[in-house]
Amino acid sequence: MLAVAFLLAGAAQAADPNLCVACHGAGGNSTNSAVPSIAGQPRQFITTALYMFREGYRKDAQMSPVAAQLSNADFNELAGHFSGQAPAPPRHQARPENAAAGPALTQKFNCTQCHGPRLLGQQQMPRLAGQQFDYLRDQLRAFKAGKRGEMDGNMTAAAQPLSDKDIEVLADYLSGLGG
Amino acid sequence: MKTALAVAITAAFTVAQAQDKPAASPPPSWQQGKSAAQAESTLHPFAIEMTGKSAKELPVDKLKVPAGFKVEVWAEGMPGARTMAQGDKGNVFVGTRQLKEVYVVRDSGGKREAKVLLKGLDAPNGLVFNKGTLFIAERGRITRYDGIENNLDNPPEPKVIVDNLDPNKQPGHFWKFLALGPDGKLYFNIGAPGNIVMPSYMEASIMRVDMKGTLETVAQGVRNSVGMDFNPKTKELWFTNHARDWLSDDTPNDTLHRVSRKGMHFGYPYCHQGEIQDPEFGKNRSCKEFDPPALKLGAHIAPIGMRFYTGKMFPAEYQGNIFIAMRGSWNRTIKQGYNVMRVKLDESGKIAKYEPFMTGFLVDEKADPPMWGRPNDVMVMKDGSLLVSDDQNGIIYRVSTTK
Repeated sequence: MLAVAFLLAGAAQAADPNLCVACHGAGGNSTNSAVPSIAGQPRQFITTALYMFREGYRKDAQMSPVAAQLSNADFNELAGHFSGQAPAPPRHQARPENAAAGPALTQKFNCTQCHGPRLLGQQQMPRLAGQQFDYLRDQLRAFKAGKRGEMDGNMTAAAQPLSDKDIEVLADYLSGLGG
Repeated sequence: MKTALAVAITAAFTVAQAQDKPAASPPPSWQQGKSAAQAESTLHPFAIEMTGKSAKELPVDKLKVPAGFKVEVWAEGMPGARTMAQGDKGNVFVGTRQLKEVYVVRDSGGKREAKVLLKGLDAPNGLVFNKGTLFIAERGRITRYDGIENNLDNPPEPKVIVDNLDPNKQPGHFWKFLALGPDGKLYFNIGAPGNIVMPSYMEASIMRVDMKGTLETVAQGVRNSVGMDFNPKTKELWFTNHARDWLSDDTPNDTLHRVSRKGMHFGYPYCHQGEIQDPEFGKNRSCKEFDPPALKLGAHIAPIGMRFYTGKMFPAEYQGNIFIAMRGSWNRTIKQGYNVMRVKLDESGKIAKYEPFMTGFLVDEKADPPMWGRPNDVMVMKDGSLLVSDDQNGIIYRVSTTK
């Protein structure tokens, strides 16, 4: 928290990617399972997520104050930067049974319909392949519980049919997925 | 006995657990009405750029208008820019649908500046300016801001004309378009609460309200109209309408309608485009029961803002023509629209011409997404030029004659 507060002091100047890598990792590749990677995320996903944090559609103790300081132009600049960063190959190794069951689940629950056939994301929909395990699991649980903010209700609806086991399998499979 | 009891208790516990699953939340309203055969469809609505996009990053030179006209970027930096209305002093007010802002573009001799005028509104998509007052139609209410052009840096508090227009916070089609009638009343839509559902007593209709807040129904059976204007010659109301999704790529057409008398019903949810019975609601009905559209505009073309051309700049043949912004398809395999179309009426008020006026937003009809911009509203400026808003990028373009 202290590191973030220190960086926020100078944030009024311009959109500095170093502000983000402090938590999201070098090049936007997170090394903390609870913090999402942002490297190689679709540009429009990043701008929309930052917009949601600033406008209060999503609330997070770290992201809300960071986003509150930034303008639309800042968001566009940061999104341009991080969408162009190469996502690191995943360090997470999914359990073999989950790696085997994963593909069918992403079809069954319509993940591939929006996130793409290889779950690399598109437009305002994020890349799921290689995302951090704890983060993925927390988001899916929150969507299912109706506690994760969003603008169109799509993910809340999509998460309803997921059992706790489905969420474990999906998070494990996705966080071990390269591409 | 003990074993049988244990089994019974276990069985009861298991049943209780299975019934404990939380009820599934309804799917997003854009998925409602999908048939089982369409379950795998990857068609989806497109999201606008919530932070806007700069014109210098866009292929604006791809925009085409007829010979004798030119098109240029007029103002930018207004994410979600949609409906436009011009004030007496020339300021252009710009509403949004998915955001909470209303912008104003001030043209102070040489420098054109767009800024946020009002914040924290609820889908402020309907805008009318008349005699110093800006009227705004939000999700649930219509308000007025008197003398606003004298107070652009410190806008007055809104006065509510009518409230409670969306008591159930309906999931679909809650945003409104606003038009001022020759009778001094404000005309607006209340859309259907979903793709293909039975509307309530107020929904799927065109309504009007007087300055005291008294509501009247103007027409029914309108799934969702987000564009309307009065024919300057006949004083009749014309409006665009979005037909249902998830029927087929080519049916039903989105439509243009003319209100020629009281009590018209244009068919929704029973009949579409005046002649297609809905598979669910139109069984055992004849579409002859309902009023047909004036023009079928194309399937999944998304006609939104429309205006009759009344300016003095365009050539005489454009007088009284209707310009319609087609925001473009999502529920179609081959995308279409993404342009401004022109409708010409003949002397008796019948459709004489329906052709493109401004194109170039559509890049690849088979791609996802297929376009780089989406025209949403058209507005005739005091000088007779035509403004076109693009809510995908938050940019307004201006079409003028080259002479």
